[in-house]
Amino acid sequence: MFDHGKIERNLGLMLVLTMFTISIGGLVEIVPLFFIKGTVEDVKTPEGIGMVRPYSPLEQRGRDIYIREGCYLCHSQMIRPFRDEALRYGHYSLAAESQYDHPFQWGSKRTGPDLARVGKKYSNEWQVQHLIAPRSMVPESVMPNYPWLLTTPLDTSDVADRMAALRMTGVPYSISKAEYDNNVKEFGADVAKQLHIPDAKKDLIEQAQSGNYDGDASNVTEMDALVAYLQVLGTMVDFGKLDNDSFVKFR
Amino acid sequence: MEWLMWFTRFENSKPLALLIFFFAFCAILFYVYGSRKRGERLESYKHMPFQDD
Amino acid sequence: MASVAIGSGEQYNYDVVRKFTIMALIWGAVGMLVGVFIASELAWPFLNFDIPYITFGRLRPVHTGAVIFGFGGSALFATSYYVVQRTCQTRLLSDGMASFTFWGWQAIIVLAALGDVMGYTQGREYAEMEWPIDLLIAVVWVAYAIVYIGTVMKRKEPHIYVANWFYLGFILATALLHIFNNLAIPVSLTQSYPLFAGAQDAMTQWWYGHNAVGFFLTAAFLGMMYYFVPKQAGRPIYSYRLSIVHFWALIFMYMWAGSHHLHWTAIPDWTSTLAATFSIMLLMPSWGGMINGIMTMSGAWDKLRTDPILRFMIVALSFYGMSTFEGPMMSLKDVNALSHYTDWTIGHVHSGALGWVAMITFGSLYHLLPKLWDTKMYSVKLINAHFWLATIGTLLYITAMWISGIMQGLMWRAYDDFGNLQYSFAESVAAMHPYYAMRALGGLVFLAGMVLMLFNCYMTIRQAKRVPAGGLAASAA
Repeated sequence: MFDHGKIERNLGLMLVLTMFTISIGGLVEIVPLFFIKGTVEDVKTPEGIGMVRPYSPLEQRGRDIYIREGCYLCHSQMIRPFRDEALRYGHYSLAAESQYDHPFQWGSKRTGPDLARVGKKYSNEWQVQHLIAPRSMVPESVMPNYPWLLTTPLDTSDVADRMAALRMTGVPYSISKAEYDNNVKEFGADVAKQLHIPDAKKDLIEQAQSGNYDGDASNVTEMDALVAYLQVLGTMVDFGKLDNDSFVKFR
Repeated sequence: MEWLMWFTRFENSKPLALLIFFFAFCAILFYVYGSRKRGERLESYKHMPFQDD
Repeated sequence: MASVAIGSGEQYNYDVVRKFTIMALIWGAVGMLVGVFIASELAWPFLNFDIPYITFGRLRPVHTGAVIFGFGGSALFATSYYVVQRTCQTRLLSDGMASFTFWGWQAIIVLAALGDVMGYTQGREYAEMEWPIDLLIAVVWVAYAIVYIGTVMKRKEPHIYVANWFYLGFILATALLHIFNNLAIPVSLTQSYPLFAGAQDAMTQWWYGHNAVGFFLTAAFLGMMYYFVPKQAGRPIYSYRLSIVHFWALIFMYMWAGSHHLHWTAIPDWTSTLAATFSIMLLMPSWGGMINGIMTMSGAWDKLRTDPILRFMIVALSFYGMSTFEGPMMSLKDVNALSHYTDWTIGHVHSGALGWVAMITFGSLYHLLPKLWDTKMYSVKLINAHFWLATIGTLLYITAMWISGIMQGLMWRAYDDFGNLQYSFAESVAAMHPYYAMRALGGLVFLAGMVLMLFNCYMTIRQAKRVPAGGLAASAA
C-alpha cells in the first residue's frame, strides 16, 4: 500500500517527488513551442523573400539602448487582436515579428502606448524632440526626458561581438561567404549586406549617416541608434501582400 | 514527435487531463481523510512546533 | 520556558538568523522608499531630474529587486534557517556555509541594484541581473540548498514538519526557474543576449515571472505561515491533513499558470487557455492554505483584540485569500482583455506583495526578533501603529490602482457615436494623475509603518544588549 508517511520521513523521496511535480507544468507548456511548426508564422513575399529580417547593426544597438533605459517597463510591443487596438495601433502582432528578438520586449504594462508598430508613424525630428522633452510634444506625458541620448556618442567598439553572440543564439547574421549567400537568398542582397558581421561597424556608420536620425550627420549618437530602432518597429511585414486569414491557424 | 500533436488537440487533452487530475485528487483525498488511524497519525504532527518550548 | 534562553546559544545557530533579520528590515525600508519615489515619478515626472541613473526605467528594477530579493529573500533566509533548526531540533549543517549565504546574498542585492542603475540589464522583468550576478546567485543558492537539506537530514524527529516542505519546494523551484530563465550568451561582463527569442522567450520569462510569485512569494511565505501563525497563536495548525493536500496541489498547479500573463498575445491559444484553467483551479489550494491559517485562530479570536502581531498575520491571510481570488478572475480571458497592460495588474501584485507577503513577514519578524535577542519588543504600541499604517497604506494603494486600471481599460476601448476611438492615449494618461498621486500616498503611509518597525526593532536590540542576557528570559517566551 502506498504510504505518504514514507515521503514525510524520507527527504530524498520528497525532493524527487517535489521536483517531478513542479516540472510537469513547464514541460507541457514550453517544450512543444520549440517543436510545433505553427508557433511562428512563415511570413514571405510572393517572391519567397522573408519579410521579417534580423536587425541591422545600428537598429540592434538602438534596441540595446531601449533595453538599457528600461522602456519595456512602460511600453508594450504586442498588439492584441481587438478592434480598439487595431484602430489605435494597427494589425495585431505576429509571433514572426519578434522571432529575432533576444530578449522579447512584449512588455506587461502600458503606462505609455504600445510601440509594436510605431515605426514610420512619426518623423525622425518628432522622435528626437519627444525623447529629449516628451512634454514638449505631448503635454499629458509622464515619460522621463532623455537628453543624454543626443549628446552621448554611440559605443560601436563591440558591435561585431554583439552580433556574434546573437548569431550563436540562432539569429542568421553571417560570418562566412556561404552564410552571406544564404542570406541573399533568404532576405535579398540589400538586407544580407547589413547582416554581415565583418562589415558591422562600417554598415552601422553608413546607416547612421545616410539615415541622419538625430539631425546631425557629423557623428553617431545613441539617439541615432534608438530612433533607427523605433523607426523599424512593426514595419517589416507588409500586410497588403499577405492573406490575413492565414494567421488565424497560428493562434 | 507526431504523436505529441495528439495532446495539443483540445478534444483529446481536455478529457484526458480531467480524468488524470480528478483521480489523482481523489486518491490524495482518500489517503488523507480515508482512514481514522492514518488521520490521527497525520494530525499528531501539528504539535511539532511546540515540542521545543 | 526558560529552556529556550539557555539552549539558544549553543544548540542553534541564531547568528545568521539575526543578520538576515536585520537586513530584511533594512532592505524593506530601502526598497519601499525607492517604490514611493518611482510612484511619485509617474505622478510628477519632473522628479526624473534628467539624471539617467534615477529615471523610472532604471529604478523600477531596483525597487522590485530590493523588495523581492532583499526584503523578501532575507526574511525567507532568516525564517527558514530558524524554522528548520527549531522543527528539526538540530543546529544548521554548517555555520561557515550559512554565513557564506548571508554575505553572498547581500552582495547580490547590492550588485543587482548598482547594475540596474548603470543600465546593465537583461531586460527581463524580475530577472534584470546580468549573467555574472546570475552565476553568483546560482552558487549562493546551491550553498543554501546544501545547508537546508543537510540540516533536515540531521533532524532528531523522523517526520519533517510541513513548513519545511514549503521551504524545500521553494528552494528547488527557484533553482529550476533561475537556471532556465537566465540561459544567455555573454558578450562582455555587463552584456549578454538570452538564448531564446520572441514567443519562446516570452513563455520562458513568464513561466519564471509567475512562479517567482508562486514559489518565492507564496510557497515560501506559506512555510513561514505554517510555523509562525501557530506559534504566535499558541495553537497548533487547524488541519495537518489539509496542509498535505494543499501542498501537493499548490506546487503542481502553480507551474501551469504562467502563460496567463500572455493572453491574446502571439503564443498558441491552447497554451494560455490551459494556463487560465489551472489558474482557476489554483483557487482551491490557495484558499486551502488561507482557511488553514485563519481557522488556526478559531476558539481564540479574542487574542486578536490584544495582540497586534496576530492581527498582522490574520490580515495577511485575508489579503492572501483576496488576491488569490482576484488572480484567477484576472486570468479569465475576457477579464484579462480589459485588465492586461493596465494598473489593475500593478494593484493585484501589490495586494499580494503588501497585503500578504509584507504583512506575514512583519508578523513573523515581530515574533522572531525578541526570541533572537532574548528580550521583549521595545513597544507594542508602535507595533499597533505599524499595523494600522500598513493596512491603510495597502488599501489606499490597491484602491487607487483598481480605479485607474479599470478606467484605463475602459477608456482604451471606448468608441464615440461614429465608431472611432473616443480617447487618445494621452487623455488616458492625464486621467491617471490623481490615482498615481493617491498610490504614491498609499506607498508613503506603508513606508512610514516600515520605518516605525525599523525604529522599534533598533530600540529592541539596543535594550537587549544593555540588559544582561537572561535578564528578561523568563518573560521572553
